Amino acid sequence: MHKLKENPEINQLVEHFFRHESGKMVAVLTKIFGAENLDLAEDVVQDSLIEAISQWQYKGIPENPSAWLFRVAKNKALNIINREKYKRQYSKEATHFLRSEWTAEPALNLLFSEQQIHDDQLRMIFTCCHPAIKPDSQIALALKTLCGFSIPEIAKAFLTTEENINKRLVRARQKIREDKIPFVVPQGIDLEKRLQTVLETIYLLFNEGYSASKGNEIVRYELCEEAIRLAEIITTDTAIQVKSNAYALQALMQLNASRFKARQDTEGNILTLEEQNRLLWNYGLMEKGFISLEKSIPANQISTFHILATISAYHCSASSYETTDWKAILGLYDNLLKIDNSPVVLLNRSVALSKVNGIAAAITELKKIEGSPSLKLYHLYYSTLGTLYIEVSQFKEAIPMLEKAISLAPLQAEKSLLQHKLNFCHEKKLLQ
Amino acid sequence: MKDFLLILRTQGSVWTDLSPEQLQKHMEHGMAYIGKLIAEGKLKSASPVDKGSKIITESNGLLTDHPFNESKEVIAGYFLVTANDIDEAVTIAKGNPIFKDIPTKIEVHPMMPVGG
Repeated sequence: MHKLKENPEINQLVEHFFRHESGKMVAVLTKIFGAENLDLAEDVVQDSLIEAISQWQYKGIPENPSAWLFRVAKNKALNIINREKYKRQYSKEATHFLRSEWTAEPALNLLFSEQQIHDDQLRMIFTCCHPAIKPDSQIALALKTLCGFSIPEIAKAFLTTEENINKRLVRARQKIREDKIPFVVPQGIDLEKRLQTVLETIYLLFNEGYSASKGNEIVRYELCEEAIRLAEIITTDTAIQVKSNAYALQALMQLNASRFKARQDTEGNILTLEEQNRLLWNYGLMEKGFISLEKSIPANQISTFHILATISAYHCSASSYETTDWKAILGLYDNLLKIDNSPVVLLNRSVALSKVNGIAAAITELKKIEGSPSLKLYHLYYSTLGTLYIEVSQFKEAIPMLEKAISLAPLQAEKSLLQHKLNFCHEKKLLQ
Repeated sequence: MKDFLLILRTQGSVWTDLSPEQLQKHMEHGMAYIGKLIAEGKLKSASPVDKGSKIITESNGLLTDHPFNESKEVIAGYFLVTANDIDEAVTIAKGNPIFKDIPTKIEVHPMMPVGG
C-alpha cells in the first residue's frame, strides 16, 4: 500500500512532459536494443510511463521525475536483455556491458547521460528521416518515436484514419529492418546531404501544422512546436559543423509560428496579415526566431529556408501592414526565384509586386502562370487574382476568379470570406 | 461517519492504449481528485493494484493458486473513504476522473463497524 502524501500536488509536471520524456527514452532504448527493435523500445517506455502514473498519482510527483522514469526504464531494459527467452539481436556494443552485473549499472548510467540522450535523439532523427523511407512515413515515425504521439493522435493531426497511420508506421519499421538502416548520425560528405532530407521532413511536419486549411487548431499548433523542437535538437548539437540551413529553417518556423494565434478571429474566420491584430503575436517566440536567423548567416550558400525566413522576419518587424518593407520583400522573392522559379513562388511574390510596382503589374504576372498544373486547383491563386481585380475596381473580372476560389477552398471559413467579397463585387457591378 | 471500500475494475490492457499525453492528463486529474479527498479528510487509504495477482481456489480440500488473466477485467485499485452515508460515498466514487479516460466500474461497499 502507498503511504498517501499530505500534499501530493507540490511538484507539477511541465506541459507535454510524458510526451517529450518518452521521446528521449525511446531514443536511448533504441540505441540499446538496436533500430530493428524499435517496437520493443516503445513498449518498454509505455510500461515505464504506466508505472510512473500509478505511483505518482498516490505519492506525488518525485523531486526529479525524469530520473525516476529513466531508472524504471533502465531496470526494464536490463530485465529484457537478461531474459533468455528474448532471442532478439541487440546492439552488441551497447549491450555488451549490460550483461554483466559488474558493469551494467555504470554502463546504463552512461547510456542515460544528458549528452547521450541528446545524441540518441539526433540519431533517431536521422533514422526516421532516412531517404529509404517515404516522406509521409518519415513524419509519422518521427511523431511516434521522437515526439511521443500515439497513432490516434497522429491520425487526428493528419485528418486520416488510424489504420492508414498504422500502415505507414509498419512500412517504415519494415524498411528499417530490411535495409538495416543503422542508428547513427551520418559522417563526412554524407552528413550534409542527409541533413537536407531531415530538414525538409521537419519543414513538411511544420507545414502540416501551419497550413490553415485543415484540422483542429490546438493539434496543429502542437505539430509546429514539435517541428521546432526537432530543429533545436539539430542546432544545439556540437558535432554538426555546418548548421546554417538548420538555423534558417528554425528561424523560419519560429517566426511564422509566432503569428499562429493571430491568424483566426474568435469565430474561426481566417485573417490575412493585413487584418491580424499584431498585439496577439508571440513576441517571445519571434525574438527567438530573430536570434536563429542571425545564427544562420554564416552560410556558404543561401538556401530557400534563408530567404523564406528573412521574408517572414520583414513581416514580423513591421509595426503595421502599411509600413511593411515591400521593396525588400520583393527583392527577396526575386532571389528566391533564382533557386526555385515555381508558380507557387511567383504567386506569393505577386502580392509584394503589387505593392511595389502596382496592381496592374501583379495581375499581368499572375495571368502568365494561369493554368500551370500546380496552381490549377489551388484556391489561393484565384482568390489572390480576384482580390487584386477588386482593388482596381475590375469587378467583372474578379467575379469568376472568386467563384472558382470558393469552389476550391477547403475550409468553410475561407469560403465564407470569399463569398463576402463575391457579394461585394456583384453589388458594385450593378452600380457600374 | 462510516467507512466505505471503493473497488475499481477496468480492463487490464486499457493502459497500453493511452498516449503519453493522455497518461499525463489522466495522472494530473487523478492527483487533483486524490489531493482534494485528502484535504477534506475523506480518504483513509488508496492504492493501485500491481501486476501478478493470483487467485486461490479450493477443490476437495486442496488449495491451488492460479494467476489472474490480466488482459480481462481486473481490479485496478481501491479507495478506503470515510463518508456520512452511502450516498456521499457514491458521490465520491462518481467524482473519480478515471471515468473520463477509460471504461471503469466502481463498486461501493459499506464497511461494517466492528466494535473493539
